[in-house]
Amino acid sequence: MSSRTFRSRLSRLGPNLVLIACAFFFIAPIISTTRQAMQRVPMPLLNWSSVFDKWTLDGIKKVFEDPMFWPSLQFSLKLAAATVAITLGLLVPTALYVHLRIPKARGLVEFLTVLPYVVPPIALAAGIAAFYRANARWLFSSQWALVPFYVVMALPFTYRSIDAGIKAIDVRTLVDASRSLGAGWGTTLRRAVLPNMASSLVSASFLTTTVVLGEFTIANVLNKPTFPVFSFQFFGYEPQGGIALAMLTLITTTILLGGLTILARPKAVRAARKADRAAGITRTTRF
Amino acid sequence: MSDTALTRDGDRADGTVPAPRRRVRIPAAAGLLPFLSFLFLFLLLPAYGVVKKGFGGEGGGGFSPSTFFDVLSSESKAFRGSAKVSLVTAVLGVVIGTAVAYAAATAQRPKWLRSLVAAFSGVAANMGGVILAFLFFTLLGRQGLGTKLIDEGVGYQLYDTGWFDISGFWGWVTVYMYFQIPLMVLVTLPAIDGLKPAWREASSNLGGTTWTYWRRVGLPVLAPSMLGGFLLLFANAFSAYATVYALNNQANVVPVKISFGLVGDVGGKSSEPYALATGMIIVIAVAMGGYLLLRKRAERWQPT
Repeated sequence: MSSRTFRSRLSRLGPNLVLIACAFFFIAPIISTTRQAMQRVPMPLLNWSSVFDKWTLDGIKKVFEDPMFWPSLQFSLKLAAATVAITLGLLVPTALYVHLRIPKARGLVEFLTVLPYVVPPIALAAGIAAFYRANARWLFSSQWALVPFYVVMALPFTYRSIDAGIKAIDVRTLVDASRSLGAGWGTTLRRAVLPNMASSLVSASFLTTTVVLGEFTIANVLNKPTFPVFSFQFFGYEPQGGIALAMLTLITTTILLGGLTILARPKAVRAARKADRAAGITRTTRF
Repeated sequence: MSDTALTRDGDRADGTVPAPRRRVRIPAAAGLLPFLSFLFLFLLLPAYGVVKKGFGGEGGGGFSPSTFFDVLSSESKAFRGSAKVSLVTAVLGVVIGTAVAYAAATAQRPKWLRSLVAAFSGVAANMGGVILAFLFFTLLGRQGLGTKLIDEGVGYQLYDTGWFDISGFWGWVTVYMYFQIPLMVLVTLPAIDGLKPAWREASSNLGGTTWTYWRRVGLPVLAPSMLGGFLLLFANAFSAYATVYALNNQANVVPVKISFGLVGDVGGKSSEPYALATGMIIVIAVAMGGYLLLRKRAERWQPT
């Protein structure tokens, strides 16, 4: 018995070492960033006696005092809101239409939505320069120019999320029931279909927002003053502030995305886990 | 709202059936028109613009493949640089990512471990970019905390040996691993869930060792996911721009060369950045095509 537990412990040695080493690799840069953002001790002078000295919030203060911080953040938030609105307005009707009217085309539409993977942001930026600089200068130089391209860039994530939301509900029955009670299409959408896929709409909006708030490539090449472009320039003239801003961004995105993962976990999975726990089954008995 | 609708139905039941409206038959695919035209305008037209200019002659007009191949051969160093960093980070990402996913999926003790690894991977796989480069400057830069701790701890001076620099090749590799490993974890976790404990029991009942199990059952089932993951990671690293640009804006890799060409090309006359972008799209298309095919194969054993 004891030799068996010993052997099973031994067999976990490798995997546990892998996990610990990885945790270390993924946490270390966050620790070093926090220190550099909030402690004003130059690296050569840092040792055990100075490790608690000169911790300060000055770096963070510099971020909020910079005249370009709020304008760039506001600009990016505006772009994000517009991108979310167009994404939902375009994809929700399309996805519903495909499910209800032409289910045969589902594979094709899914394939089209992953096409943006093939044109990476830098190539898309080249394409915008190649086509729109010559043929539609007004769009190229408009402050909203980035929005349609951000919709395209987020498409693989957003469509999958909306599609999953539709698959999770019996949309045909919902629509038939609502229609046979006399509701028009508008009411059916507003009161029967959309409320039932609310969590997938929220997660699609979150994903879009993180894409827009993190996108550097196209904005930098097209020279638009978005938040990521500001972060990069800010680091150039205010290194400690730049590091503090990186830390704040990291914390915010982690909270947003972490919250999303919990929120978007399908209800079925949660229910199954609950049932398992109630029945005393542990799903971890694998090998 | 529903009240009026009911009355209307009731009216109809009374016999005042409205004359059937004449409807023009529209093909069902017409409903896809807004979506398709959006994709056409904002994805296909730009891609077409890139390819057209990439293959165009001097001044951007006409069709001369020779310009395309000239650019590719004169910038072959950038392509080799991109291929090298993509290859190394993809191989390392596949190996480490699969090991992490396996370790997390089979761990018994902290119950939340698996969800934590999955959730964190979801966040970190999307990291990349400028912020990530800053994080690693503070850790492994010349004045970084990690650089100092390695020196103090084991007496190894990272920057004196010459092979490592956060702005150099191994620096990029280290930083890329921060999003490549989590991406591989996301790709391969479902495949590892597909390995049924019963197969292992069957293998050992038939006299197989752990090694036999992995060679004859485990790896063959995981192989399509791992190969597909490799292609996905390769494409992912090949197209990364922001991270490497923030680490070293002189980096000799394709994305940085494209951005240089675009910023310098004010008159829109040069075809170089477009030829580079065309080459990049071709590489990514091949890798992603392979990935999608392999994913189909990989899903065979996965629980749905």
